[in-house]
Amino acid sequence: MLFENLRTALEALAGNRLRSVLTLLGVMIGVFAVTTTISLGAIATAGITSQLQSFGNQALFITPNEDNPRSTEFSDADIEALSRLPVSILRQRTVRGLARAGTEEAPLSLNGVTANAPEVDRTLKLQRGRYFSEEEDRRAAPVMVLSADARESLFPDDPNPVGQEVSVTVAGSRTFYTVIGVKEPLTGAFSFAASAAADIPLQTLYLNYPSVERGRYPFLPVTVSLERDLADIQAQVDAILTRRRGADTFRIQTIEGALTLFNTITTILQAVLGGIGAISLLVGGIGILNIMLVSVTERTREIGLRKALGAKKGVILQQFLIEAVALTAVGGLVGLALAIGVLYLAVALVPFLDQVVLSPFTVLLGLFVSVATGVIFGVWPASRAANLSPIEALRYE
Amino acid sequence: MRLASGRRPGRRTALTAERGPGGEPAGGRVRRRAEGPVIEARDLHKVYVMEGGLEVRALRGLDLSVDDGEFIAIMGPSGSGKSTLLQIIGCLDSPTTGSYRLAGQEVAAMSEDELAGVRNRRIGFIFQAFNLLPRATALRNVALPLMYRGVGGRERAERAASALERVGLGDRLGHRSNELSGGQRQRVAIARALVSEPDILLADEPTGNLDSRTGEEILALFGALHGEGRTVLMVTHEDAVARHTERIVHIRDGVVESSEKVGPGTSTGAP
Repeated sequence: MLFENLRTALEALAGNRLRSVLTLLGVMIGVFAVTTTISLGAIATAGITSQLQSFGNQALFITPNEDNPRSTEFSDADIEALSRLPVSILRQRTVRGLARAGTEEAPLSLNGVTANAPEVDRTLKLQRGRYFSEEEDRRAAPVMVLSADARESLFPDDPNPVGQEVSVTVAGSRTFYTVIGVKEPLTGAFSFAASAAADIPLQTLYLNYPSVERGRYPFLPVTVSLERDLADIQAQVDAILTRRRGADTFRIQTIEGALTLFNTITTILQAVLGGIGAISLLVGGIGILNIMLVSVTERTREIGLRKALGAKKGVILQQFLIEAVALTAVGGLVGLALAIGVLYLAVALVPFLDQVVLSPFTVLLGLFVSVATGVIFGVWPASRAANLSPIEALRYE
Repeated sequence: MRLASGRRPGRRTALTAERGPGGEPAGGRVRRRAEGPVIEARDLHKVYVMEGGLEVRALRGLDLSVDDGEFIAIMGPSGSGKSTLLQIIGCLDSPTTGSYRLAGQEVAAMSEDELAGVRNRRIGFIFQAFNLLPRATALRNVALPLMYRGVGGRERAERAASALERVGLGDRLGHRSNELSGGQRQRVAIARALVSEPDILLADEPTGNLDSRTGEEILALFGALHGEGRTVLMVTHEDAVARHTERIVHIRDGVVESSEKVGPGTSTGAP
């Protein structure tokens, strides 16, 4: 009986193919949206987490507390005080200017950093040439390491501009640098930070741009080796800076903190998209309701006949419920298939997503929701059909 | 009009052959003889309320008693209530007031699902418009009542096929009903009414949509089914059709006007 009803339902749906397809669109989009949202969130979180962990280091990022007017930039003395801890700290100052190489011109950020930058910043990898040495920093050598973006804009035709000259004009004065290295493009989670920039020795920056006040740093990137307890280090950093600068004059950010923020954003996005999915399911459900009512009306005579031949109420109810559920289940399956396709596409295209995460729970949820939509929006039309009086249904024109 | 088995004798053979080796030696013929009449209607009234509150009184205190195994024609002008009566007897409709006992059981006391069971097992209803599922094959159409009775797929197909053979459509099992001629469709409908071996066959103008020769063949089929011991009630407005039966009940204005015995072959005029 169940099989017969299923067959009848599928035949009825196949008999109105276009109508069936249009009807299941709503459910399809809903299930697609819900599944994609949930999975994409999980995939992004997994991707970001694994990226940050692949880092090989724990990190703190210390900034002045901008809400506190007494808060100032960090000094060399601050850094020296912190250096008692098992940490590496990067001193960095930045100026902006206009770079020229041959006929190419581009705005460029000059980051004056110490020679330990590649140890502190694990995303820093060289594609060509080398990084500058401590000795070059000490004697303020006019050398620079280009970011991949800067190389692209200044030497579009030369993948290896090591040895070439770049002039940088800052506040009207022009200085010449020799390119000694090119960085690898930033990948994954950090690619959003890609920009046209060049690293030069910090002492070179002080020498060439005397307006930059020495020994003042707007932020401090700190790395901690993995064996260390980050929370413990953070507490000590906090204690040292509080003693030196006073409470509330700085902020310490961690990757965990950034991750929490990221997760919050992901959750909000999921809620919004999930809401859209839910609305789409509701609209799809109303579509099902509408089409099932039409189907019941169209087939009033058929229902009358079936009842005349001895079909009980429950059987007719079942027949039309199966029809509604078949419609939504097919919609759900197609939506699910589409979602899986989009997830694989997203992982293939978006750099920081590494693998498709599709939990069985998500799949079951998608299918359950589509079936439930069919049941919820199919019950009323089906019970209308089941309650028809046989002779009135047979007389229906 | 193309007919499955061509001539009448051929079909008769099919019918006898099915009875002879007899899957159902007694079940088909000797039925439970209930005490008293199999159909007993007392003071049936049926009032239809039309849109706008207009009342149409289709039956006005009709009495009818039918014994087991009778072959009856119900005649009357259109609007006399004969179709309404047949639908009430067939448990498709219920009287507004009055009592209808089927094999001694008061139908008004039955639940909707019990009525569905009665329609499924005890009554075979044959409609003037055939009422087949157009896209389904003859076999599936005929198997439908068995499905609602919970008979398994294989047995359903076997019994439906044998019912179709009985009406001479053994070679049309896989045809969709919209591919069949009018006469063939009515045979499918009869096979569907027969498939659950009901005691009572009710036919509402079964030959009304057929040409006279095909009509004759269908009537002969009813005669044979009556010969098996079934109670057959047939609504018609044609004397020639009514003359195939044993008794003609005339209905006018919702009551029985007269009831006369006729013999097969007897030529009776209008009362």
